Amino acid sequence: MRSKLIVVIFTTVLIMAGLLIAIVLADSVPNGAGLPHPEFNGMQAGGDGAARLEHIGGLAFAFQCLLLLLIVCLATLGVAEQRRSPELWAYMGGTLLFSLFVWYQMYSGHQAFLETGTTNYFMGFPVATAWQVYGTWLGAIPLIILYTVGFRKFIFTEEDERKYEQLLADIAARSEQ
Amino acid sequence: MEAYRQEIIVGAVVIYMIFCVITGLWAMRRTKNSSDFFIAGRGLGPIVVSLALFSSTLSGFGFVGGPGLVYSIGVSSFWMIVISSTGYALGFFLVAKRIRMIADVRNCISLPDVVAARYNSEAVRFLIAVTIVLGVMGYLATQILAMAVVMQAILSGTEMFANIGLVTCVVISSAVLIFYCVTGGIIASVYTDVVQGAIMMIAGTLILLTAMSVFDGGMQEATSIILADDGEAMMPFGAAGIMASLGWFFVFGLGLAGQPHLVTKMMMNKNISDNRSILPMSLFGYVMAALLWVSIGVIMRAAVIDGVISPLSLPDDAASVFLSVFTNPLLAGIVFAGLFAAIMSTSDAFLNIGTAAIIHDIPKAIRGHSIKNELFWARVVTVILAIVAASFALYSHFQDATLVAILGAFGWGTFAASIFPVLAIGLNWKGATALGAISAIVSALLINFIVQLAGVVLPYGILGGLIAFVVSLILFIGVSLITKKPELDADMEAVLNI
Repeated sequence: MRSKLIVVIFTTVLIMAGLLIAIVLADSVPNGAGLPHPEFNGMQAGGDGAARLEHIGGLAFAFQCLLLLLIVCLATLGVAEQRRSPELWAYMGGTLLFSLFVWYQMYSGHQAFLETGTTNYFMGFPVATAWQVYGTWLGAIPLIILYTVGFRKFIFTEEDERKYEQLLADIAARSEQ
Repeated sequence: MEAYRQEIIVGAVVIYMIFCVITGLWAMRRTKNSSDFFIAGRGLGPIVVSLALFSSTLSGFGFVGGPGLVYSIGVSSFWMIVISSTGYALGFFLVAKRIRMIADVRNCISLPDVVAARYNSEAVRFLIAVTIVLGVMGYLATQILAMAVVMQAILSGTEMFANIGLVTCVVISSAVLIFYCVTGGIIASVYTDVVQGAIMMIAGTLILLTAMSVFDGGMQEATSIILADDGEAMMPFGAAGIMASLGWFFVFGLGLAGQPHLVTKMMMNKNISDNRSILPMSLFGYVMAALLWVSIGVIMRAAVIDGVISPLSLPDDAASVFLSVFTNPLLAGIVFAGLFAAIMSTSDAFLNIGTAAIIHDIPKAIRGHSIKNELFWARVVTVILAIVAASFALYSHFQDATLVAILGAFGWGTFAASIFPVLAIGLNWKGATALGAISAIVSALLINFIVQLAGVVLPYGILGGLIAFVVSLILFIGVSLITKKPELDADMEAVLNI
């Protein structure tokens, strides 16, 4: 039977491709990818942040949501099919929600700055940027915890190890014959 | 101490290079066959693999280009590094276990060996090997050039070497690199990586502490100066905008599992269960070293805007100017040694996989068997490959940068688009077919070539590499779904079931 997970991954990538096409076809703005800094050579400036999100902000937000879904699906694909228990799916669902929360905080924090022109700071960075720097780094920590702590339960169980050693032994025996 | 700044820096770099030479000689005694030369006989411990993995990830680009990018486009380039935790996690979930198992089961010594075994296809082996050779030439040429330029900058500050030329610097730096790669192969490479990684972590941490003391208000004062000048530059998408930022998130995040010099290291550990500790250790090392990228870039942009220092001639001068203005000579010496470490740790990994592709994989794909006396030819080809890359580097610098620029396009993004689907998905989905793999590799190469050669500029800063990656993923899965499900060999079926 064809794995449903690969179909979900394929569908996600197809929708992302559609979003990219929509962004390419959207009305362009002069500072979409930055402008030369008016004073310093070699520096770029972003200019009017609201203007460059006007036509593509929603599409880009959706693109990133799908990318986060894709990452979680790919990590799940890396777990052998027989180990994809309800417990694992629940954990992966939680990981996705956490990543989406970080992304929402970052995006909405940026929107708030564009509306008010002011921001608070957290550990050296404006709040939205702090969500990007610390939040994105931490966003994958649940996956790393699953891999390290859950290694013997989901990734390479003792049963897997026995099967693998048996496979190597069979190959060695065949090559000796 | 300040009066001897240049001498201290030169001394630190010389000590580091002597260490590399000694390691090469030591490793030569442990290199008895091509398996030792290319994958260290699959006998490395977790600490060695962790340090080798992260130090190969952060090349000279991370130490020179990274701070330069923050200076130039603000926070946009942070996306390349904050995604590292996701990138490493995906690499281990998707690749680490099965690449090691296939290497063991089929006695593979290279990445093309692994994909040829997985797809039972010499065409897939050939395409991956050619992609690696093209990418290696571009990467190596730029790394060697960067190494020589930095060496010239350091030595020309001393009285004795004030007039040293770039060609001499290319010769000196390449000679050290070639020596330890030829004598000790990957064993020398990974053990130098251990020290290189340690130097990079120390350098990153010390630079962060120094950077926080440049402004009285620490990092927050620096970021508020940038924010007041141009709000977008200090907001999450930086000056380059949201699509460039998300493109880097995609290409650098997913793409790590498609980098041949990194995934090859996942074949070298002694025990598969070591992977559970290699993942967090590699990530920790990377984060510590990457502090340099963020902190130098932010401080230099703020310092120029605030009038503390003059504007830079080139963004890539950010790191060297920071070191000369804000650090004491000892720290500058450590960081410059760290810079050479970053460049060399990536270069030696590329030399190794490029050599494997040339002497082992391409002959095997064309003639059905690799050449005889692989160890001897591995050493010969390592020398030739490094000399050709160094020549490319010099030609690019003095005559025409186009060739290296085109080969440079076969960098991270091309490896990501062409190798990630074939390897990372292919090792976890039995339905993946050779035709799907060939479609993915060819489309990734073509799109990257066309975007580079035609100078295509997409709206909103969308990266050509992102388009190539998405198309390659669609073709890989789509073509595999519509072609006949392959009959896997029994051992491959067993590996993919575990």
